[in-house]
Formats: sequence, C-alpha cells, structure tokens
Amino acid sequence: MSISLECIKLKRTGFFPALLCGGILAAAVPVLNMTIRWKTYVVVSGNPIQILLDANWQMMAMLNVLFIVAGTCLLYHTEYADNAIQKIKSLPVRESSVFFGKAILTIFMSTLMLAIEAGAITFCAYKWFEIQNTFWSELCKSFAYAFWLMLPCIVLSLLISQSCKNMWISLGMGVIFVFTATMLPPNNFILSLFPFAAPFQIFMNADMTWSMRFVCATAAELIVLGLAELILIRVRRWGA
Amino acid sequence: MNIIETTNLTKSYADFTAVAGINLHIPKSTVYGFLGPNGAGKSTTMKMFLGLTKPTDGSFTINGKRYPENRVEILKEVGSFIEAPAFYGNLSGEENLEIIRKILGLPKSSVEEALEIVGLTQFKKRLAKKYSLGMKQRLGLASALIGKPPILILDEPTNGLDPVGIHEIRTLIRSLPEKFDCTVLVSSHLLSEIELMADNVGILNHGHMLFEGTLDELKSSAASSGYPTDNLEDTFLALINSDNQKRGVVR
Repeated sequence: MSISLECIKLKRTGFFPALLCGGILAAAVPVLNMTIRWKTYVVVSGNPIQILLDANWQMMAMLNVLFIVAGTCLLYHTEYADNAIQKIKSLPVRESSVFFGKAILTIFMSTLMLAIEAGAITFCAYKWFEIQNTFWSELCKSFAYAFWLMLPCIVLSLLISQSCKNMWISLGMGVIFVFTATMLPPNNFILSLFPFAAPFQIFMNADMTWSMRFVCATAAELIVLGLAELILIRVRRWGA
Repeated sequence: MNIIETTNLTKSYADFTAVAGINLHIPKSTVYGFLGPNGAGKSTTMKMFLGLTKPTDGSFTINGKRYPENRVEILKEVGSFIEAPAFYGNLSGEENLEIIRKILGLPKSSVEEALEIVGLTQFKKRLAKKYSLGMKQRLGLASALIGKPPILILDEPTNGLDPVGIHEIRTLIRSLPEKFDCTVLVSSHLLSEIELMADNVGILNHGHMLFEGTLDELKSSAASSGYPTDNLEDTFLALINSDNQKRGVVR
C-alpha cells in the first residue's frame, strides 16, 4: 500500500517523466557516440558489450546518478514543501515504511532507466557489431551488476533528501557527491566503494574476483545504510 | 471517565522548559479548551500526544493506551490538526484526503463526508497550493475529521478563517461530542472563543497549569482569588498577569 500512496503523492511533480527522460538521455549516449565515432570502435577486438560500456558507461552512469539524486530530492520535497510530513507522522504509519515506499519507487524507476539503456546497447551491438550467442547473458549480467551497484547510491541519496528539509541543500550535496565520484580513480577498490562512485564500475568477466568484491561490499553498504536510516528516524523522533 | 490523562508531563529543551509537569484530565465526549498565551506550551503538549515530540519526563494515556508503547494504536484513534495546515501542495484537496483515507483504511465515502463537513466540496478538485489560507485551514480540519475519530486534537483551528468560517467551525466543534461521541481537545489563546465551545478548560502559562475545571469553577476560583469575574477575558488576563508577576516575567 505504501507504494501506491507514494505514487499518488508524486502526481504533478514530474518525478516519473524526469527519470524516464534521464534513462532516454543516458541511452542516447552510446547511440550518438557510435553514430559519430563508429570507425574507432568497430576495429577494437573483444566483446561488443565490453567495448560499448568501456566507451560510454562513465557518461551513462553519471547521468543515471544525477537523475537519481534529482528524483530522490523531488520525493522528499513533496513531503517538506507544505509540511505534509508532519501530518504523515501524526498518522498510524511508520516512517520507515514511507522511506521504504520511496526507495522501492526509485529502484523501480532506476530499473526502467537501465532497461532503456540496455535497449540502446543492444541496438548499438546489433547495428555496428555482431551479436554472439553469449550476448544476452552478458547483457543481463552487466546490467544486473549495474543495478546492484546503484542500490547504495539510491538509499544514500534518499537518506540525504530525508535529512534536509531544504531541497536545494540535498540537491547540492548530491551534485557535489556525483562530481566527486567522477574524479575518483575507478581502479581503486576502497575509493570506488563510495556509494556515488560504485555505479561507475563495469562488470568485468575477465576479473570476476574484482566484480564479486564489489557485489559483497554493496551488500554490506546496504545493511549499513539501512541501519543508518533506522537510527536517523529514532534520532529525529526522540530529538524533536 | 477521562479519555486523556497526563501525569507530570514535562518537555524541556536544554535550558528552557516548555511544559512543566502538567496533569491534564480530559473527560470523554466533551470539548476541552486548552488555553494560554503564545508560547505557553499548548502546541508542545499536543505534539507530545501525537508522538511528534518526546516527553522529557512524565507520562500520558489516551483512551487507556500508554505512550510510547502504543503509539500507532493511539494515532489510529486520534484526528489532529497542529499549528498550521499540513498538506501536499501538488495534490488537490480530494487527493490529500484520499491519502489519509488509505492510511486509515476508511471507506471511500469518508473523503466526501469530510469535505462536506468543512464546506470544501466545491473546491475539492483544486490544487491545495492554490487554496486560500481559510481553505487550507478547512482542508487541515477535514484531514483531522475524516473517519470521525473518537478523539480530536485541534491546535488553534480557527486561525486564518473569516468570521463566518470561525462561527461555522466553532458550531461544528461544539456539535461533535453529541453527533459523533467525540472528545475534542482544542487550543486557543482567546478565552472568548473557548468560552463558546468548551465544557472544561485548562489554562497554561509558561508551561505551568494554572487552572483546570469547568468555566463555572473558573469563575468561582477567580472570585475567591480576588480576580475580576464579570468578563472571562479579564479573568484570564488577571490570572496570566498574576502568574507572570510571580515568576518575574516581563512581557
């Protein structure tokens, strides 16, 4: 029920079109890049997905994270703008379920964004490369990995938006974190664990150990962020 | 039987005590007027009842349920309106009430009923952010009244309403115990307003309870203390001024 309520709350906020446009924009990156510079990439040997992601994923991931930050800011802005959150807190509903509803909604929209991007990668592979037997399984693995690594970014972004009543502060923090993440070296494991930096990672078949370390670290991050959310709710309630 | 009872309820912030060990007794199916000047601690007390702020000390029960153990159960029985109207500006009045209806698990007809009670039916499709202050106030009241909860906590509900609106809301509050067997805790800094609505009053000043009882008891208590009793407004002012002098407060 909390998800359907969150959907009602988001009417006329532009949340759904914004994230959808974000997905389309990110999907346009490989298509445009290949249209203009296809000669550079078709001569590269290797897996087409790997080639396409190596060439475009940094920009695509940055757009994904930016739109997630904007989306989560919008989600909590509707609560704070006219103090609706106070009414919600005085109703028999748990704040954690409100957060959970918003998280599910953002995760759903992120999945949609990734699906559009996967469609664009498939289109590029079909048009400029040769689709091999392993293509679909590789595509699923790559995007499932991207989805998993995006989860801590979604949760942290929501946590920041929930903490700041002023949307511009949470948006500003999010943007600073995104640009910080773009400056971190992607081959440094510890630095890449920063939730806004992890989505820039690409699934590498050749180095499963490296990828699996990220998968495990993301699970740990999700647990820590979940606990942080519970602590934030308690601190806010008891500190009021 | 008291539906709301507090025992030494206290709320302190660092070096400031907003509510200082008050003992409230609100009888079932009555209108209880919570009176006090601005900053007396009325809203803080009401916020504690709704779990919006944590008591520093003391305890309270609402309909036999103890806080904080039964917070969610308490909130199921309480309709509230605190300080200013709280709503989703991007949604219409009807959609705002629909959210509350879904959370409370009420029938669909309850939205229409609530809109009808506060006189917003005509404007139900209009976005809440485009409402006038009075309409926002009515929407806040509708969100408190939806589903006719057994307990209503209303913090200065007539703020921002025009004289006709004030009269309508007063009449509505007055009729609630009889119509819906509802208990109403209503705060105001205007005794004249409380006088027209309440069966019992509680007077709060600087977090301290100065008086609790019926209006007749207030008059007789004031008379015995040598305060004016011809006009309840003067009685109230005399009570507050005398308390301020005792505490050495300059306003």
